[in-house]
Amino acid sequence: MNRFACIRALGAFLALGTVPAGADAPNGAGPASITVFAAASLHEAFTAAGPAFTKATGTAVTFSFAGSDSLEQQLAQGAPADVFASANESQMQKAVAAGITGSDPKTFARNRLVIVVPSGNPAKIASAADLAKSGVKVVFAAPTVPVGAYTRAGLKKLDGRAGYAADFDAAVEKNVVSNELDVKAVATKISLGEGDAGVVYATDVAPLGTKVETIAFPPDSVAEATYPIAIVKSAPNAKGAQAFVDFILSPAGQAFLKARGFISP
Amino acid sequence: MIRAAIAVAAAVLVAFIVLPLAGLVLHLDPRAFAASLATPSAQNALRLSLVTTALSLGLTVAFGTPLAYALARGRFPGRRVVDAIVDLPIVVPPAVAGLALLLAFGRNGTLGPGLHALGINLSFSTAAVVMAQVFVASPFYVRAARGGFTSVDRTLEAASETLGMGPLRTFAYVTVPLAAPALLGGVVLSWARALGEFGATIMFAGNLTGISQTLPLAVYLDLESGDVSGATALAVTLVALSLAIVIAVRALAHD
Repeated sequence: MNRFACIRALGAFLALGTVPAGADAPNGAGPASITVFAAASLHEAFTAAGPAFTKATGTAVTFSFAGSDSLEQQLAQGAPADVFASANESQMQKAVAAGITGSDPKTFARNRLVIVVPSGNPAKIASAADLAKSGVKVVFAAPTVPVGAYTRAGLKKLDGRAGYAADFDAAVEKNVVSNELDVKAVATKISLGEGDAGVVYATDVAPLGTKVETIAFPPDSVAEATYPIAIVKSAPNAKGAQAFVDFILSPAGQAFLKARGFISP
Repeated sequence: MIRAAIAVAAAVLVAFIVLPLAGLVLHLDPRAFAASLATPSAQNALRLSLVTTALSLGLTVAFGTPLAYALARGRFPGRRVVDAIVDLPIVVPPAVAGLALLLAFGRNGTLGPGLHALGINLSFSTAAVVMAQVFVASPFYVRAARGGFTSVDRTLEAASETLGMGPLRTFAYVTVPLAAPALLGGVVLSWARALGEFGATIMFAGNLTGISQTLPLAVYLDLESGDVSGATALAVTLVALSLAIVIAVRALAHD
């Protein structure tokens, strides 16, 4: 409905009001702070890294986590942010093309995709091939969400391999019961046992504890996801933004990502 | 002076409501509009929204009318509690409503094993879309209907019964017509809320073309994939649809 357009319009409206306040910060009026728009899959790692960044630089940091595509849209609509950390290259390239970014994007992490099933594995999924078994309730992220795009690209690579039908990816697509809006929603549906199998980032598994089991994809099928980070051109606090990017790329920042299962670039 | 203040305040709110909607229409590319609406996913979303909101409205009226009547007239223990419970879905955030539905009716929910034994699987189904809509939208009808029944002059009902009409016929020929404006108002509000329902639907029913992807979900997904013209086309359709129904019902109520 029009609700979303309204919310975005309202967001842009409020943004106009807050920009001057944020712009004052670098002049030394009040405590410096930055806003980081980050992909949903970065939630745990960035939330843990935030206080360490603030301690090291004195700059407070606020995170807004959502699907990378939502964030890119919000930035395109003028949402006030200092840093954009995307879960894939294509959303970052969109941001670059739209003139949203104020620095060259830098890859700061990589992530693997894994199959998750509810604990007890009700549909008896033994390998990626079983995703095509009839009656399996598969939950993916929508193809417009990075993890959803990676998932489908990976399945396509398995088409015709030993043990996989030529139209394997189409058969799996027929089992999809829901295209969720972000990776965390996929994780939720599987951990609640509503779906039989889903595909999430390896880093999304740890927070789910014993509620899910994981199954690896065959080697060289599903691509690794790369995470680029860039400063937002209209950043109210460009200096703070650069400091955050530097921190995330530094060994101290990388440690927080590694602790959550990310692979260094 | 006071009248001017009232006019200004009223105008500000009207402008605030109209401006974003006008922006939506102005953003519309007429050539892209038809093409956007002709896509299978748009057609599916439109059809699904119309079918599910008709079903949820039917269920709301069928079960909500007796409930509203009982709340307006009944003198039973716990009436105030029931009254408060009925309003709860209005204050519960839709995503929470969806989670609650999932935890109650989902595969591993409270009633899940029982439903499964009966061969019923609700999550990720069109039935789940309807349930989400009834959950979030029915309070709007029940509230309005309760108010309507309360305001009916009971001496008229008494007169009808003295003249030999049974309670059921009195209800159908006296109470309902007198409460009709309130009932219709409730129908419109409840239907509109169901049509715009998003959070509980995506949580409980998921998002799949033709099964659970209603218009609001399709609009959101179009926006996410950067298809702003597709999203605006669907959004304008949604607004036009709501407006047409509201006007039709208003006209009906005044006749």
